[in-house]
Amino acid sequence: MAGQSDPHLSIFSSEEVEFLAEDELVEIVPNINMGSLNFIRGDFGPFRPQIATEVPLWLAMALKKRGKCTIRPPEWMSIEKLTRVLEAERDSPREFQPLPFHYVEISKLLFDHARDDIPEIYMVRSLIEDIRDVRFHKVETGLQTISARTHAVKLKNLSAMEVNIVRPFFVRTLQAFYKHDSPQMIHQPDATTNRQPQVVNRGPRRDLRRR
Amino acid sequence: MASYYDIDDIIMEDELISTVFQIGANGVGMLDPGAERNCVEQGAKVELPFWLAHELHLRQAVAVTVPPCFNQKTRKEIQADAACVDLKSRCSYFYELGCKVAPLIGDRTIGSFLLYAFTGRYKEVLSKAHSAAFIMAPKFLTLLTKEETRLYEAARSSMTAFKKWRVGGPRFERASILRKRKPTD
Repeated sequence: MAGQSDPHLSIFSSEEVEFLAEDELVEIVPNINMGSLNFIRGDFGPFRPQIATEVPLWLAMALKKRGKCTIRPPEWMSIEKLTRVLEAERDSPREFQPLPFHYVEISKLLFDHARDDIPEIYMVRSLIEDIRDVRFHKVETGLQTISARTHAVKLKNLSAMEVNIVRPFFVRTLQAFYKHDSPQMIHQPDATTNRQPQVVNRGPRRDLRRR
Repeated sequence: MASYYDIDDIIMEDELISTVFQIGANGVGMLDPGAERNCVEQGAKVELPFWLAHELHLRQAVAVTVPPCFNQKTRKEIQADAACVDLKSRCSYFYELGCKVAPLIGDRTIGSFLLYAFTGRYKEVLSKAHSAAFIMAPKFLTLLTKEETRLYEAARSSMTAFKKWRVGGPRFERASILRKRKPTD
């Protein structure tokens, strides 16, 4: 976790998460003739006009800014796909739909840099906002069920930005619960709190709740 | 969790707790404002900071009584509605003090009481922290202890940071070295 802006909270800033998302691949249609580019992570190109190719998002944005390509919006960013995801999110209160890990960041970057390449951008944007709100509400209601016996929580399909938002709160909460639930503090099960017998073995990881 | 240099741990140990002297002590009349001579008599009730009470307790010089924030009245209030109890005015280091004071008193219910209080109050912090991100200083913040305030701040600041990022628009940042060079061009 080197290079974080705030090592104390063990958190990335939103800008840092955005930076990580720029490594995701997107499809572009170049309008220039250019040989292939050799990077540490691999070779991209060669670029031929009207021949689609995959490049990292940051490169796509750089080319787009200079008017050298158009970006093809990813498959999941179509209105039909997003509508289906939104409906599924609303229908299943305990599960998250599979979306790209960086969907919040990718969509924002594309909205900012490639507005003219996304058909019906307002609809897409509002759908993504809705999906994000529904998912975050689910995260919040999920957090309410944390209790003293929670040692780990499994959140399947949660995206990078969503994790990043709840991380500081979440870590502190689990720490506090861990502290107050330590065997030195709790000697006997107390009748007022309806606690179950102490779990002595604190495994480092345990799925307490299927999500 | 608490380290030697943890400032909150140090401040917390300054909390006054009331103790009863088990032995007479000479030359420490300053501890007891009601003392006539420069000594504390056996059986005198004296308020001492936690760090001193702890040391004297180890030497069996004082007996520690239950601090008011862990008495029956507070427990009843917590049981009624944990989220509405003003713990900050009672003891802003409620949980930390509770953890430290429990072994001194030998009261084994304090641990589960703390856990119960935290579980009840944490949900309120959670629901307020993410939703009320725009309200400047909600009234309920004044009820929170130090630990809860920090929890609230953690949630709120990450949410505001995200919102700021979302409406920020495209970032065009110039390296500072470029900015400096510009006038000479």
